[in-house]
Amino acid sequence: MSFNRDSLVALSLILASGSLMLASLEIREPDYGVLSPAAWPRLILIILGGLSVVYLLQSIRMPKKNKDDVPRKSIGEFILYWRNVIAVFSIFALYLIALPYLGMLIGNILFSFILLTVLGGWRGILMHLLVALGASGGMWLLFTFALEVFLPRGSLTGL
Amino acid sequence: MDIFLEALLNIIDPVTLIYMIIGVGAGLMAGSIPGFTIAMAIVLTLPFTFSMPPAQGLATMISVLVGGLSGGLMSGILTGIPGTPSSVATTFDGFPMARAGEPGLALGIGVWSSFCGGIISAILLVLFAPQLAMVGLEFQPWDFFMLVMFALTVTASLAGEHLVKGLIAGAAGLFIRTVGEDDAVGVGRFDFGSDYLLTGFDFIAVLIGLFAFSQLLSDLRNPVTARNALSDRKQVRVKIEHRRAIGILLKNWTVVIRSALIGMFTGILPGAGGSIANILSYDQAKKAAKDDSKFGKGDPRGIIAPEASNNAVEGGALTPLMALGIPGDITAAIMLGALLMHDIVPGPTFIKDEPALAYSIYIAFFLASFIMIGMQSGVLRVFVLVTRIKTYVLATVILTFATIGVFALHNSIEDIWTLFFFGILGFIMRQFGFPLAPMILGVVLGNIAELNLARALAIDSDPMLFFVRPWSLFFAIIAVFSMVFPIYQKHRETGSVLERFFSPLVLLCLSLPLFMMGGFLRTTLAVAAIAISSFILWRRFGSGWKA
Repeated sequence: MSFNRDSLVALSLILASGSLMLASLEIREPDYGVLSPAAWPRLILIILGGLSVVYLLQSIRMPKKNKDDVPRKSIGEFILYWRNVIAVFSIFALYLIALPYLGMLIGNILFSFILLTVLGGWRGILMHLLVALGASGGMWLLFTFALEVFLPRGSLTGL
Repeated sequence: MDIFLEALLNIIDPVTLIYMIIGVGAGLMAGSIPGFTIAMAIVLTLPFTFSMPPAQGLATMISVLVGGLSGGLMSGILTGIPGTPSSVATTFDGFPMARAGEPGLALGIGVWSSFCGGIISAILLVLFAPQLAMVGLEFQPWDFFMLVMFALTVTASLAGEHLVKGLIAGAAGLFIRTVGEDDAVGVGRFDFGSDYLLTGFDFIAVLIGLFAFSQLLSDLRNPVTARNALSDRKQVRVKIEHRRAIGILLKNWTVVIRSALIGMFTGILPGAGGSIANILSYDQAKKAAKDDSKFGKGDPRGIIAPEASNNAVEGGALTPLMALGIPGDITAAIMLGALLMHDIVPGPTFIKDEPALAYSIYIAFFLASFIMIGMQSGVLRVFVLVTRIKTYVLATVILTFATIGVFALHNSIEDIWTLFFFGILGFIMRQFGFPLAPMILGVVLGNIAELNLARALAIDSDPMLFFVRPWSLFFAIIAVFSMVFPIYQKHRETGSVLERFFSPLVLLCLSLPLFMMGGFLRTTLAVAAIAISSFILWRRFGSGWKA
């Protein structure tokens, strides 16, 4: 028997199901209709909760791994291991926050340039700039003029 | 005939043809690049099709699909790395044949097998979809609800040992679709005071996030491989040998037909797609061969079988989609999304109510296979160029493209947040071994399930009807057995009770709803099921209860 990362995920799922079940109490009950609007999500949450309990039990029953088999990672090693993923998440979140101010054209060029440089390193910076300009600019032209989609303009850039 | 002509004119319209050519080319490229799946290519095509008429949009998506299914063979044969999971088995003999100095022949066999598989399944789609739709007309809300549950459990059961994770993913997918206003009475659910949540998550943004974004993150995780290109080949001088390949295919026509049928059948089963069909048909081709000593060393049959079957899968997957509104795999689920985007709800009356659109799908499926053959040689050169691009560059460009595409759905920045959020969720799920297919099916089918549950209870509030009506009982039985199936597989050849009784029990249980359905054919099937079940039990009893 062991408490592992699967057990943690299962516990999180049980907590999430419980919290959402509580949130379902806030759903207004209308005087009409046969099936209450809360009934279907509650049914799903009960199933989800039940499955999460099974998952928890399964994870606990899993044979304990030898400590030597599982190398423990320090926070530094963890960040190093996941650095690309963390970089993509962070840059994408910043891009989304800045999008209303920069607009899609400038925002996308900056996003792709920064992401390319962070993932690929400084050596290819000129190529990254060209790719960012070509890909983001090309897509902006395609969507704006060929597909006639109104892409957001930035409140700061006006583009 | 008028409807057929209308559909034909829809498809041979020059603009549609151009979109189809671009679609096949894009699909061939996407399929050929390991790590970039067909589903990802189709899901990224969705935003483009939003502004198109339904027939044009679907024809474009079908073209991407057909191209993608055939694209996987290029990298599989030339580099030994399958472009998609659907072409894993193609590498077993394709790569050795290419290394033995016959890359042109290997590619030719692969291309023509894909073509034949596609055409056979298109013919079967035209023949079977209307028949299945006629059966579907018997379905009532109870049956549709159980059909959705069956689709989810079967997809989850494909996770094998991780069945519970698959079921959790399916339930989570159903839940995601409940966020926002309830369709029946318009009451907000889980909106937490947010106007965006009140409108619900846009499910296409959810699909792109879950599938494409999370896949790109997985491709970029390793900093070393992210900076590598797929191949360092400067050029490839391969001429596809069409004539010799066709000759070999004609000699092995039984392998072509058998594999296409395996692919078609696998495609009809919810959740089971090309990744299973190609291995299954390769295995069958090997077992059926009189001399299997050359398999794995460049046997043409080892290329024909997986390629014919993986292209036939989509005809199978489109059959339940067109006939019942239930997708056979993830790509068909995305196609369902495209139909819903255009306010077309597929179901048993779809072919009758929207015949021009149904014929357009058939014609597009046929035509795309011909376009694929014509474009394969040209795309081969582009493939070599694309494989020289570094992974992180390709991933960044695709991510930027996905962002604009998602925005274009409703001109909403909130949809890009949805993409981001579900991208993270999809990535975490991948890391923890949760399959994404049940979740995607849950998201796509969630509304259908709830709607039919509400309809069923509005007609009769007795919940037992879900288990006593013939078709709903039929689906409930298969759903239960599909959940037990991974446990049965685990205990096979151990002599356990489950192993001895599983298959006879399935047949016995299924005979009950078949009897309840009545009619000559179904009663005969029920009697046959009981007879086969009894025969298996008698044989096992005779051999001292050994399987």
